[in-house]
Amino acid sequence: MAIVERPTAPLELTTGQVTARQPLGGFTRPQATTGWRSWLTTVDHKRIGIMYGAAALFFFVIGGVEALLIRLQLAAPGQKLYSADLYNQLFTMHGVTMIFLVVIPMGAAFMNYLMPLQIGARDVAFPRLNAFSFWLFLSAGLMLNTSWFLGGGADGGWFAYAPNTGVTFSPSHGMDFYALGLQMAGIASLVGAINLVVTVLNMRAPGMTMMKMPVFTWMGLVTQLLLVFALPVISIALFLLTFDRLFDANFFNVAQGADPLLWEHLFWIFGHPEVYILILPAFGIVSEIIPVFSRKPIFGYPFMVFSGIAIGFMGWGVWAHHMFASGMGPLSVAAFALSTMFIAVPTGVKILNWMATMWGGRLRFTTPMLFAIGLVTMFTIGGLSGVTHAVAPSDTQQTDTYYIVAHFHYVIFGGALLAFLGGFYFWWPKVFGYTLSETLGKWHFWTILIGFNLTFGPMHVLGLQGMPRRMHTYIADYGFEFWNLVSTIGSLIIAVSMLIFGWNIVASWRAHRADPVDVGPDPWDARSLEWSVPSPTPVHNFDEVPTVSRLDEFWHHKYQEDETGKVVRVATGAEAAQKGDATDVHLPSPSYWPLVTALGLPLIAYGLIFNLGLAVVGGLVVLIGAFGWGYEPADDPEAGHGHLGHDGHDDGHDGAEAEIEGGEAADATAGDGESQPAGVSAPTASASDERAASDD
Amino acid sequence: MSTGQQPAARRRRFAPLALILPLVLLGACAADAPQDTMDPAGPQARSIDNLFNGVFLVAVVVFVVVEFGMIALIVRFRRRRDDGDDDLPTQTHGNTRLEIAWTLLPAVLLAVVGFFTLRTLFDLEQRDDDDLTVQVVGQQWWWEYAYDLDGDGEHDDVLTANDLVVPAGVDINLDIQSNDVIHSYWIPRLNGKKDAVPGRTHPLQIHADEPGVYVGQCTEYCGLSHGYMRQRVVALPPDEFEAWLEDQATDAEMPTEAEAAAGAELFTTQCSGCHLARGINDAEFEEQGSGTELIVAENAPDLTHFASRGTFAGALFDLWVDADGDGFVEHDEIGGELNRADLEAWLRNPPDEKPMDAPYVPEPGGDKVRGMPNFNLQEEQIDQLVAFLATLD
Repeated sequence: MAIVERPTAPLELTTGQVTARQPLGGFTRPQATTGWRSWLTTVDHKRIGIMYGAAALFFFVIGGVEALLIRLQLAAPGQKLYSADLYNQLFTMHGVTMIFLVVIPMGAAFMNYLMPLQIGARDVAFPRLNAFSFWLFLSAGLMLNTSWFLGGGADGGWFAYAPNTGVTFSPSHGMDFYALGLQMAGIASLVGAINLVVTVLNMRAPGMTMMKMPVFTWMGLVTQLLLVFALPVISIALFLLTFDRLFDANFFNVAQGADPLLWEHLFWIFGHPEVYILILPAFGIVSEIIPVFSRKPIFGYPFMVFSGIAIGFMGWGVWAHHMFASGMGPLSVAAFALSTMFIAVPTGVKILNWMATMWGGRLRFTTPMLFAIGLVTMFTIGGLSGVTHAVAPSDTQQTDTYYIVAHFHYVIFGGALLAFLGGFYFWWPKVFGYTLSETLGKWHFWTILIGFNLTFGPMHVLGLQGMPRRMHTYIADYGFEFWNLVSTIGSLIIAVSMLIFGWNIVASWRAHRADPVDVGPDPWDARSLEWSVPSPTPVHNFDEVPTVSRLDEFWHHKYQEDETGKVVRVATGAEAAQKGDATDVHLPSPSYWPLVTALGLPLIAYGLIFNLGLAVVGGLVVLIGAFGWGYEPADDPEAGHGHLGHDGHDDGHDGAEAEIEGGEAADATAGDGESQPAGVSAPTASASDERAASDD
Repeated sequence: MSTGQQPAARRRRFAPLALILPLVLLGACAADAPQDTMDPAGPQARSIDNLFNGVFLVAVVVFVVVEFGMIALIVRFRRRRDDGDDDLPTQTHGNTRLEIAWTLLPAVLLAVVGFFTLRTLFDLEQRDDDDLTVQVVGQQWWWEYAYDLDGDGEHDDVLTANDLVVPAGVDINLDIQSNDVIHSYWIPRLNGKKDAVPGRTHPLQIHADEPGVYVGQCTEYCGLSHGYMRQRVVALPPDEFEAWLEDQATDAEMPTEAEAAAGAELFTTQCSGCHLARGINDAEFEEQGSGTELIVAENAPDLTHFASRGTFAGALFDLWVDADGDGFVEHDEIGGELNRADLEAWLRNPPDEKPMDAPYVPEPGGDKVRGMPNFNLQEEQIDQLVAFLATLD
């Protein structure tokens, strides 16, 4: 099941050596399961997912304040609320924050929490690495934002085109923070991506072949593979920039013969797959929400999967559409114009399949469903403006104007963010055991939809009227005043809307505290495996690892065809779900070392900027962390069994691999689609309900 | 498949909505917007606009189908009050023929769009080397234009800034370069934009049908004052253009009037580190004016014919009063009433008027700053300089 076979005896090495319980006398593993310390040492994918989500919302507030400051400055022509220098820092940090510290980690939150659950696993393949990637992401985000207090934020744009980011043209430390902070965030994402890829490929429950995975998990897998291949490119670019800035290298020094287009290509070879890294998890979320509230299976499951894969592949061949005005030559422009046009095809397939899923359904307009429909309708607008960019000559008019700002906000805000917000409402009861208020949720949805369209809709007009982006102000009488004012008003409505969301979280939690309502395992009558366990999810996820024979396995435990071929309910969600009361489940033990190791890296970064001595200290911390990690005792997996309560934990186990109980561990590695697990514990469903998605 | 048919009348009720959004968009674009990309004034911009209009139409159709399709779905398939919880709709899983259809249909549609895209793209790249070619050089934060009059291939005969003066009605080739960071040259009503990348020369073509002023601004983020880096194309009737060119090729004359002469003296001592006015401070500029390797060769505009331009400081301020109040200083307004207020304010404290990284006055031959520093001039000196600058026509 796991990549590492479960040892036959407790941690017996093949050499016959007995592993020491405390090799160096002091390395006992942390035991706490409650209190703040337990959060620092946790390796539980669910807690890490929650922390990713919380951190992403925290950075969303920072990035949102930056956006509001930008909009206030642009509310009227010729305003000087603050300096051009600060404006340049604000738009740079707004982009960096929203992309690297909000949307990527928000996707990571959902993927961390849900992917193991959806494939029927008890944790990810490398729980400590998972904790490490979260802490490193958090360190990177905080480190980037400390630049505000240490000489100013980055001022070269999130795209950081050379040579404007060289020391000559950007003498403050802002771009050093950018280069090193993103380098760390990149390592964090890379580690996390490898972890989740390995998890999905190796730890699926028995019977869950690739083509029985939920669409969200599929999109997550494609996203993580994109990260694995895209991040090394930006890492190299950032290394070149770091060496140019800190050690007088000449990678982007035009006087020494450098070609600045090198940076543009490197950045966008990363940067365009990055766009799909942002949107594919959102597509996955919507593909989960729409079937549940349409009370129908996803329409064209294999087409949904393969269009996602197609986007993942084609996403590598379109990067230079960001460079149609860069002067790279008409042949390159022609090639990338065509490839960019055709990536619209698989995206269109997704939109139409979501609509076909709704066709003939019984649509329940809950808050998650509203947000999902919000994505479909708003992303369509972003997709259509995207096609006008693929028309390269027309793009030379539109690129670097507000038309582009409108376009990518319709994609990233109207697409990714709306889906994530819908995801919050959808999975909140699963994660926290209480439902967010539907009334406030609907206020949230409608205000954000109005605010969003008022903010970014007018930007289409501004861009076509010739207003370039990244201007700290604009002059009157160019026809820009009215729509900029509308846009600023819209941004304030978005701010109010997000306050409603915050209030919803607080108010719903208070209401739950005052009068707890059991939401049950399956409040929405949903389809995938995470709904087959109690809410909130018990620490060990599954009492018994489920055996899967169909797509939407859990749903088939609730509904079956009767003699007449009519699909009828045979069990409630609560009846079909597991009870969450298993007692002897091995779980990875918590560990201090991911946190320690992650804290060393920002020290190195600060050291490189300010004082190399500090970098040495940081290096030592990383080294100590790695040693501690490596020599951490592998606890006896048999110890501490038998006292695992509903919310309990298991206090002793090797932290390196989450395992499924040996007796259950039928092999379900990638590709063995034909494996028919024996001893199916689930009720058998009528065969006609299992027909392949594409053959009717 | 569904319960309850929606009366057709009810669906038609939404139809007028389909027209609103595109109308709002188009209506907004009709406003007075001198940088409007949808108001072309030359063949290049027009061919782009035609292409965009076609694609926009296709996009509107798709928009209407998807968005109003979604509204129809919401209305038609919403759960009714009397729907039981255990009452499931028909469980459809997919339809391969439908999937293939809606994969191929957009692909074909896009192939058509792609054909016209490539045709326009390669058309726009056509360029006749016999046409007038102007070298356009981006600098932080202004544009320099260099003309080659004697045909020796060196663009060293006429050097100007801010206003690109061209003859109307003919194709003009631009060779776009940069002296520092990446900029982008864009006159929306004449053509799309092209980046100015240091170390590279990028071709662009413009053509103004009618004489007039066409404005634009730098569209690649180029640092501190990116938002204030503007440019204008001044298209003249061919005979006026020839006269202009002839005039530009001459040197400036030392002023005779006392205040202006004092200004020339001040200019020679204070400004020769960066600015050249040929015929006035050639020797001093030669001595003091070598730029550093990294920044620019000659890092400030040539001022020999300063007063023949409509704007100054990276086309941010009008140099002359806009007599007809249309928002632009046209060619016939140049030489009219000087816009003293902005020019004096500029000389009083340039970084306050336009953000620049120029915190100190550089030593002759020392490190250059980026932009014009504050020289802490006395009011009397400012008056003298203004009087002198006004003679540089």
